[in-house]
Amino acid sequence: MSEYSVVGQKVARVDAVEKVTGAAQYGADVHPPGMLYGKIVRSKHAHANIRSIDTSEAEKLPGVRAIITQDDVPSGRRVFATDKVLYLGEPLAAVAATDPDTAEEAAELINIDYEVLPVVQDVMESIKPSAPRLHSDDTKDGPSRREITGQIRQLSRDKENDHSDEISKLEAELEKYTDEVYYNISAESHSEAGDVEKGFAESDVVVEDTYVIPRVHQTYMEPHVSVASADSSGKVTVWASTQGPFAIRSGIAGTLGIPLTQINVIGTTMGGGFGGRFGVIITHVPAVLLSQKTGRPVRVQMTREEEFIDGRPAPGCVIKLKTGAAKDGRILARQALAFWDSGSVSGASIGSTIRVRGVYKIPNLKVDAYGVHTNKSGTAAYRAPGAPQAIFAGESQLDEIAERIGMDPVEFRLMNMREEGDEVPAGGSEPKVGYKETLEAVADAAGWWDREAGENQGWGVAVGDWTNGCGPGGVYVSVHEDGSARIFHGSMDITGTDTAITQIIAEILTVPYESVTIRRGDTDSAPYSTGSGGSVVTFTMGNTAKLAAEDAHQRILELASERLNTNVENLELKEGAVHVVSAEPPKSISLGELAAYSLSTTGGPIVGKGSFARQPSTPALAAQIAKVEVDPETGRTRVLKLIASQDVGFAINPMAVEGQIEGGTVQGYAWAMMEEMQYNENGNVNPGFVDYRVPTSADLPTVESVIVEVPAPNGPYGAKGVGEPPITPTLATMANAVKDAIGIRINELPIKPEKVVDALKSNGHGA
Amino acid sequence: MAKHPVTLTVNGDEHDLLIEPRKTLLAVLRDTIGLTGTKEGCSTGDCGACTVIVDGKAVTSCMVLGVTASGKEITTIEGLASDGELHPVQQAFIDTGGYQCGFCTPGFIMASKALIDENPDRTEEEFRHALGGNICRCTGYTKILEAVLQAAEEIRTTVK
Repeated sequence: MSEYSVVGQKVARVDAVEKVTGAAQYGADVHPPGMLYGKIVRSKHAHANIRSIDTSEAEKLPGVRAIITQDDVPSGRRVFATDKVLYLGEPLAAVAATDPDTAEEAAELINIDYEVLPVVQDVMESIKPSAPRLHSDDTKDGPSRREITGQIRQLSRDKENDHSDEISKLEAELEKYTDEVYYNISAESHSEAGDVEKGFAESDVVVEDTYVIPRVHQTYMEPHVSVASADSSGKVTVWASTQGPFAIRSGIAGTLGIPLTQINVIGTTMGGGFGGRFGVIITHVPAVLLSQKTGRPVRVQMTREEEFIDGRPAPGCVIKLKTGAAKDGRILARQALAFWDSGSVSGASIGSTIRVRGVYKIPNLKVDAYGVHTNKSGTAAYRAPGAPQAIFAGESQLDEIAERIGMDPVEFRLMNMREEGDEVPAGGSEPKVGYKETLEAVADAAGWWDREAGENQGWGVAVGDWTNGCGPGGVYVSVHEDGSARIFHGSMDITGTDTAITQIIAEILTVPYESVTIRRGDTDSAPYSTGSGGSVVTFTMGNTAKLAAEDAHQRILELASERLNTNVENLELKEGAVHVVSAEPPKSISLGELAAYSLSTTGGPIVGKGSFARQPSTPALAAQIAKVEVDPETGRTRVLKLIASQDVGFAINPMAVEGQIEGGTVQGYAWAMMEEMQYNENGNVNPGFVDYRVPTSADLPTVESVIVEVPAPNGPYGAKGVGEPPITPTLATMANAVKDAIGIRINELPIKPEKVVDALKSNGHGA
Repeated sequence: MAKHPVTLTVNGDEHDLLIEPRKTLLAVLRDTIGLTGTKEGCSTGDCGACTVIVDGKAVTSCMVLGVTASGKEITTIEGLASDGELHPVQQAFIDTGGYQCGFCTPGFIMASKALIDENPDRTEEEFRHALGGNICRCTGYTKILEAVLQAAEEIRTTVK
């Protein structure tokens, strides 16, 4: 029996009825009177100079109300390309017209004169001196050159001593690394702990390999959409499908130079986000500009094709990874060199390369990562940004090490996992996390220890770690005369977070879940709230909600103390009423009576306020096991079992937590086996669901989820953010299972049937 | 473009409309009639978000021209609940947590209803394949299948 009555219970979500009846209002369902339809005019080439943009033909088309280019952006901040485009689909102009078909027709009539330039799409080609350059100032030294140039810089700074001899020696040394200058670099990140060279030297087994992970799209089901309405006073209202209305407000203000208080962002019900729904320029800014120009509301809605060519997907990358271990199983050293495909702008999650460390004790670790420009759209977050890629490399290589040492993959991981109190590389010591418990739970649930595999069948295991973020938030809770409570806040519901907030407040106010309702305000009305990404919401808003409810609880006891003529210390709130402790006969007053009474008191109505910004978070672990069967004729891999466990701290709504685990695991499966955005010199070549296949219910069996609860000290009731961890291990889980089935490791994702067939053929199998 | 007169029966209500022949049934439902519960996810018939029931069959309404639906009986997500009671398929999606962001949900519910009406005795595996035309990116399908099986069971026992 749980010590709680509402949190920890499986409850139907607060938005249940509106979601199953079609009543929920998503971005494209907003239709203010007089609304115009916007359309973005996009580059038809992946790399080209723009000689001219001619809008005269389009302007003549009846129904066209406005055409804008970069000339119409008063702040001068880049919204549209002007003299050069860097990818297929890059915005050049936008049109507003009285209906969508006219807007599309007008967009086609805009005549753009291109001078086509050479294109580079592969990161390993892009870093070479021969590659076409996207930007001018983007050359960087590789790790070895970097070390030497660093030393030269340091010596040159010492003006008191003469180091010219040493400097010339180092300069001669530099000559050896001429091929270690990388081009088209957007960003770099380096970190080092211990001495990897020493670690490799002491190792009995060293494995080195290159892992290639494709660019994939978040593929939220609702394409980006924005409806903007600028009135004659300059006030701008934006209905935005976004994870972070407050971030969109500041983004629009910054991009267009509009005062913050002149912008109201109304977050509409979000049709999936997964990290990809924070962009300001994609639809919101063009919609505002078009509305300002026409004086009418304007909707800018992306098609699915536009999502693929100009969304902000997850970056692909190439990771060269080397791991050394002692024959007793201890990992001694690991080194990574990663090139992340950042697309036309910087922003790929290169810092996540450090996640090759995993949750293991690795005394010597060195990581060098580069973001590389290519002729693709920019990238954004996708569920634990960067972690699935890095963990795919790390966990694939661990299996190779385990195999060479002759250890069971689960035993090998358990042996190397960090434990409570271990020193952590970033400083401090490891908190209590259910690393081993979570891996053991999935192994037990899967029957790992007595697993059997038939012909062409195999088992794979992997783990992935992630730590939820944290951010500012505010919550108000009011208690009404009928004993019900109403929550008011500004954070976007990301599939169940409003429900978790409601459960927490019902728990503290000791009222039934059904008597608490929740409303989200817009940026004009609601207290500031952090964006709903980075698994922050339950952690942040849960803590905020707790504070608000405790504040209300305090006021409730004060009121009861007046009404029942006793000190607050003698009072207890339970089952929706305040009771005098051990009173005989029992003496109590209901919340409704107190709320009614409060209206005529000096102190006023019961309004609890919670405001919170941060507390340290605790890492979470996801561990998964797959059993697969590979058809050697067709190369097709069929999943027979997919089991996912996760240390969630505390499951506030177990049904929603399971849903996160199942959904994240299937996204990871898809990245491993199916999904890949493909590019050639013309740009993206698979911008639709026929050529970019995402899983359907026909592709998989039931995913089994196993909840492990090792409470997080600062989480509400011990809860951790649960959204991101489940995608992190699946790529490696699948690759490890396929390796076990066919005896060949495929390091280049996705593991499509043709790759399996090729691998088997080149290994002497098959015809 | 010349507009054509059509009569659509949507959720039992007759609508006499003048529509351009290029408008899809989806556009007519959402923009002309104002029933926005049916969603547009891809416009190419590949994701199933726009599924409605036309004369008893589930169809992707982005692939049907509005003019061709004239005279037909159309049911959308808004027409499923009756007398304030949710349809068993809707209730099952709530009970099992068969939706998350909810954007694909109207399409999934309509596709599931048509499948169950046609044959409630399908196995889980058969439902998995029959629902292969609908994409959900949030749930991983586990809880959607639980919902469909629960609804099928309920409808089967009510009918018998």
